[in-house]
Amino acid sequence: MEIIGIVITVGILILFCIIIYNNLVRKRNEVDNAFGGMDVQLKKRYDLIPNLVATVKQYASHEKELFEKVTELRSKANSGKLSADEKVAIDNQISAGMKSIMVAVENYPELKASENFINLHRTLNETESQLSAARRTYNAVITDYNNAIQTFPGNVIAGMMKLQRKEVFVIQDVERQNVDVKNLFN
Amino acid sequence: MIKKEELQSLFEIELKDKLTGLEGLRKCVAKRIFCGIALVALPIIVGIALFAFVSSNNNTMQWMVNVSPFIVFIIAGIVLLFFGMKKKREYRCRYKADVVSEVVRVIDSEWNYLPDGCITYSEYHSSDLFRQHFDRYRGDDLISGVIDKTDFRCSELHTEYKEVTHDKDGKRQERWVTIFKGLFFNADFNKKIRVQTYVQPDTSERLLGKFGQKLQFSNKGKLVKLENPEFEKFFSVFSTDQTEARYILTPAIMEALVNIYKQYKRRMHLSFVGSRVYVAMSFKKDLFEPKIFTSGVKYDDVEFMYNLFMVNATIIHELNLNTRIWTKD
Repeated sequence: MEIIGIVITVGILILFCIIIYNNLVRKRNEVDNAFGGMDVQLKKRYDLIPNLVATVKQYASHEKELFEKVTELRSKANSGKLSADEKVAIDNQISAGMKSIMVAVENYPELKASENFINLHRTLNETESQLSAARRTYNAVITDYNNAIQTFPGNVIAGMMKLQRKEVFVIQDVERQNVDVKNLFN
Repeated sequence: MIKKEELQSLFEIELKDKLTGLEGLRKCVAKRIFCGIALVALPIIVGIALFAFVSSNNNTMQWMVNVSPFIVFIIAGIVLLFFGMKKKREYRCRYKADVVSEVVRVIDSEWNYLPDGCITYSEYHSSDLFRQHFDRYRGDDLISGVIDKTDFRCSELHTEYKEVTHDKDGKRQERWVTIFKGLFFNADFNKKIRVQTYVQPDTSERLLGKFGQKLQFSNKGKLVKLENPEFEKFFSVFSTDQTEARYILTPAIMEALVNIYKQYKRRMHLSFVGSRVYVAMSFKKDLFEPKIFTSGVKYDDVEFMYNLFMVNATIIHELNLNTRIWTKD
């Protein structure tokens, strides 16, 4: 009788561990998937940069330095071989650069009225909204993942699986401040 | 679009006279219905009392002779009720034409109001808000129009299904169960939507906190956990695409939905399907209907009506549906 009891207890424990393990694997995959979703949106935004720069350049040739910097950042982002943290850091810089281009546009009413620019602006808004949604999804998935690996009994299995806590996407201080076009890339 | 402050003066200048003019008709309806009910109910009560008295004396024949004049009263009561209901329909038609349509006109003269129109089956099905099959579909007071760039349609709607049960003796019992009753609204949404996202009233999380969140399931999609704690307390969100749900439900939209909920304090179901947003706001009582047994000349009734019609403008304004800065025109 005792042996049967022990076998049942061990069986339940093993089943329990399998469930937790599978749950953690699912959550880790969800994180990768969410990051992939965010990456797709970042790529979409990078693809818009050459068009935006070309359109704005026609009217605002004085902002040459700004365009060069954004184009350079885009090339860096597209070069591949970047870690997730590096991607996020470049994305922050590109976000600031795009914002400053939009601020610069305010000084060129003809540019603002051009159909090409209006279409680009709408596409950019769309991409920014999608990107923001993708970031929020990423954060929600990361929070779920972190909760799962840091709370008992998930933390025991997570320790054995060597799962590490991941950082949520935070808006950098530079993005929170008002854009200072002149000092942006200094 | 008239402001709430201007409504009081509109009531004094235009609507009060119209409502006073309808008072004679209302009193006539009330009198007929009241007398009809009295003529039917009183003879029945007296008849039952008499039956109790004579049955104790075992004189049923005598009872039948005594109650026969009451039958005449009951028939007269039924006839009076019939004419009362006919007059009620006339009063309702005039109330809708003179008062309700006038309130709609002053809110926005471009809006269309159809007293007997309602949201179509197709719109109801497209919303995918209530998947329960309905056996009875009723609605009225359809309003349609355009606010700035956003077209909308809204009406009162009541859907029910028939529940058939059998008691222990095998006797069949039927009852009508409400699926939805209230205001049903739909409008053009300002972003392109690929999948379906549903916002439902949340009771489990409000009662049980974070633990309640674990009890939220739906066959409409996966639960979407959002960042606004107040929004999460009132609503639960299900979608087939987590990212698109967040693309639709931006922090501003979540804030707006909390504001709408606080303003009207009604159970709200929303869906974002195709190119439209659907909102179903539950009400227990019939809306836009005239009162029969109390005076119709009341500012409060007109104000309530105004508030209901303004649901359209409030939703469009709060959800910022007129902002068209994304790729959808």
